[in-house]
Amino acid sequence: MALMPKRVKHRKEFRRTSRVNRDATKGNYVAYGDYGLQSLDSAWITARQLEAGRIAAQHYSKRQGKLFIRVFPDKPVSKKPLETRMGKGKADVDYWAARVKRGTMLYEMAGVSESFARQTLVRVAMKMPVRCRFVTRRVSV
Amino acid sequence: MHEKAPVLKGEVRERLGSRYSKRLRDAGRLPVVVYGHGKDPASISVDAKETINYIHHGERVFTIDVAGQQETVLLRDVQFNHLGDGIIHCDLARVDLDETTHAHVHVTLKGDAAGLKEADTLLMHPVTELTVECKLKDLPDEIVVDISELGSGQAIHAGEVTLPSGVKLLSDGEDILAQIVHSGGSTESAEETEVSADAQPEVITEKKEEEKEDE
Repeated sequence: MALMPKRVKHRKEFRRTSRVNRDATKGNYVAYGDYGLQSLDSAWITARQLEAGRIAAQHYSKRQGKLFIRVFPDKPVSKKPLETRMGKGKADVDYWAARVKRGTMLYEMAGVSESFARQTLVRVAMKMPVRCRFVTRRVSV
Repeated sequence: MHEKAPVLKGEVRERLGSRYSKRLRDAGRLPVVVYGHGKDPASISVDAKETINYIHHGERVFTIDVAGQQETVLLRDVQFNHLGDGIIHCDLARVDLDETTHAHVHVTLKGDAAGLKEADTLLMHPVTELTVECKLKDLPDEIVVDISELGSGQAIHAGEVTLPSGVKLLSDGEDILAQIVHSGGSTESAEETEVSADAQPEVITEKKEEEKEDE
């Protein structure tokens, strides 16, 4: 069961592939938990991939601590069926994706030790289509 | 705090700008700016490794030594790199030790909470620092909060914390510093936010059938 919005303004949207490979200026630090998994690449992460990461964390952590998913798949991506001629309008929505820029925090964990969070988030990183790294809360002034 | 304020040896930056700042960082220096008290701002550089180490250990007040002239400064702002964690620049404000100032102080939780001995409980600390107003000489390194008697479902708010004398709280008194919650699963109830695979989101701008017929 993948994540998707409950209400949208438009059923389909343009791809908007430009300005993707940039640094995240928002959501790029650990805000809710103590430890986080940060993306080092820009990509569209599908709802199924996010769900796979969540399940991987759940299986390893055995419901210890709390996992926060910091991104939400709110972008509909359409795809034409196989062996279909071009034209005849835009295809139906195939999946939902989260637009992730370099530096975006993907997951956060709270209520567990650093080593346990690291082990958990390493397994989550295996499910991601981007390079990731483990980070802790940064200093605030 | 001021008595043990670390001394940072600074050098005046002759050439300014991002290009020269980058060269400084490559050479192990950290560009900083010192301003305040009606004097001209001074662009200087300090040892990066030493300064960042102090900042990570909670130091906020420093003594800057530039060519033999020492000034007491307070860390006002920090700039991070493109990934949001590496320190690349600092703002230091000139202060007097008897001057009243605003500062953020880190909150340290002490003790093992009683509520954590129950099954499926979790310690949450949404707020990890408090904004306080005090004289610089009274500025604490950290605010220690004892959570040993915190039971399940209970919370400690910022207004309930006993602050050192001369320190006034500016943060919202309702801010939760520590709370024991029932985890109820490792993620924020995925079942609530998930929908079945066949479901489609409601389209807000879509015209209803009745409206279409009217047209």
